[in-house]
Amino acid sequence: MTGPAMVGDSFRLGYRFQRHWDVAMASAFFFGELGAGLFVVAMLSPAWPVLALGLLITGIGKPWFHLTHMGVPQKSWRAILRPDRSWTSRGLVGIVVFSGAGVLYTAAVATDGLVPLGEVWRIVAFLAALVVMTYQGFAMSHSTAIAIWSTALMPIASLLYALAGGAALMLVLEGLGLAAAALPALPAIGLGVTVALLVLQASLLHAAHNGTPGAKLSARLLLRGRYAPAYYGLVLGAGIALPLIALVADGQSLVGRIVAAVGLLVGFYAFRVLIFKVGVYEPVMRFGGIGAPR
Amino acid sequence: MARWGMVFSLARCIGCNACVVACKTENRLPDDIYFTRTFVEEVGDFPSVRRVYIPTLCNHCEDAPCEKACPSGATYTRDDGIVMVDQDRCIGCSACAVACPYDARSMIEEPSNNRGLFGGAEAPAAEPDVVDRWRAGTVVKCDFCSRRVDQGLSPACVAVCPTEARIFGDLDDPDSAPSRLVRSRNGAPPLPEKNTKPKVFYIDY
Repeated sequence: MTGPAMVGDSFRLGYRFQRHWDVAMASAFFFGELGAGLFVVAMLSPAWPVLALGLLITGIGKPWFHLTHMGVPQKSWRAILRPDRSWTSRGLVGIVVFSGAGVLYTAAVATDGLVPLGEVWRIVAFLAALVVMTYQGFAMSHSTAIAIWSTALMPIASLLYALAGGAALMLVLEGLGLAAAALPALPAIGLGVTVALLVLQASLLHAAHNGTPGAKLSARLLLRGRYAPAYYGLVLGAGIALPLIALVADGQSLVGRIVAAVGLLVGFYAFRVLIFKVGVYEPVMRFGGIGAPR
Repeated sequence: MARWGMVFSLARCIGCNACVVACKTENRLPDDIYFTRTFVEEVGDFPSVRRVYIPTLCNHCEDAPCEKACPSGATYTRDDGIVMVDQDRCIGCSACAVACPYDARSMIEEPSNNRGLFGGAEAPAAEPDVVDRWRAGTVVKCDFCSRRVDQGLSPACVAVCPTEARIFGDLDDPDSAPSRLVRSRNGAPPLPEKNTKPKVFYIDY
């Protein structure tokens, strides 16, 4: 169901899907948030291979997909030029700082303190990771063009999904004994973040349903439209219900953790793709009583 | 310094799309790229039905969200209020395109007109700037035909409009045609709730 209001690329007045940010961009968002989230969660029990994995996911996955998306990738360095006004620029500054301070902190952990100022790098890397985890949500909420994105819940969604992704990977890595010390509270943390994701999804839909006509249409596309099967099956089913069941049933076993982690990551990626897919531009005028808008 | 703006008279527009053709010709746009469009909408119930045409283009907003979203500084506003894209600076991230509430920006994927005359690199003698006018991978949009405006001409879409449904002029001049129309006929911007302060207005009659 797209409804008669969707007009595609025709010369009709109506709603149009945003088509500029696609799966490549969603993948860049996913890997950026996942790597930074893993890095932050790994700080609870810092082992250098896990920290390095977080850095690699953000440092390689995110730029790779961003460059795939860019129209002129050879000039992409220019994206750092306007941190005074653009969230994209601020995020790029965050990624650079996160990569630098993250490498130094990881080196300090790996060499057991041989790298000087380890505590400073830890704090700087943590703050920069927070920027990487949230700036994409700020960039989306800053856009009033796409009504379902234009909400303060977007940065919160970025933060929660980053933490969920990080917790998901950490559940498996810690289960494999790769954390520096055992983290008995990790399943409870995963459970808490998953419950928070459920509240977040309900809040997003509630805000969209009570928002502008464009936001309503996006919510309808998620709940009853062409993207409903993916939303129910992947975002809610695999991404929230499955991890909840797995963690409540057997959060300490490796199998339970792997099931929860796979579900969380599938839900995370599906949310990133779907939130782009259901974004719509509103018509330049409202329907009915056509004429100059009052 | 002028502050250029435009008024669309919905009553005058007959949907002939001469403006669309003139824009594509003037700007040598690839097949699937439009800087201006004339949307159509049927309103009313039988037997009292009418068709309304709604011209659209970049609204050259005072508080342009595209400019704020641009991370490379490629989008900027000239002193005369025309919002421009510097193709040398554009990195093709599309942040501006998702920030524009009016869907007025397009990505040039592969400019067909860059192929030149008969597929070669040559340009017609009368139009030396046909080739390489647009760079692939950059975002483009209406610039009120800034090259024509700089020469004292009106934008191509305004010049060809047979019903004078598009009225172009200086919004800072209280005696200019668009200023008088906005004032006397309650000109309203598109999607005013987006708070972008467009310099394009619509009037009913």
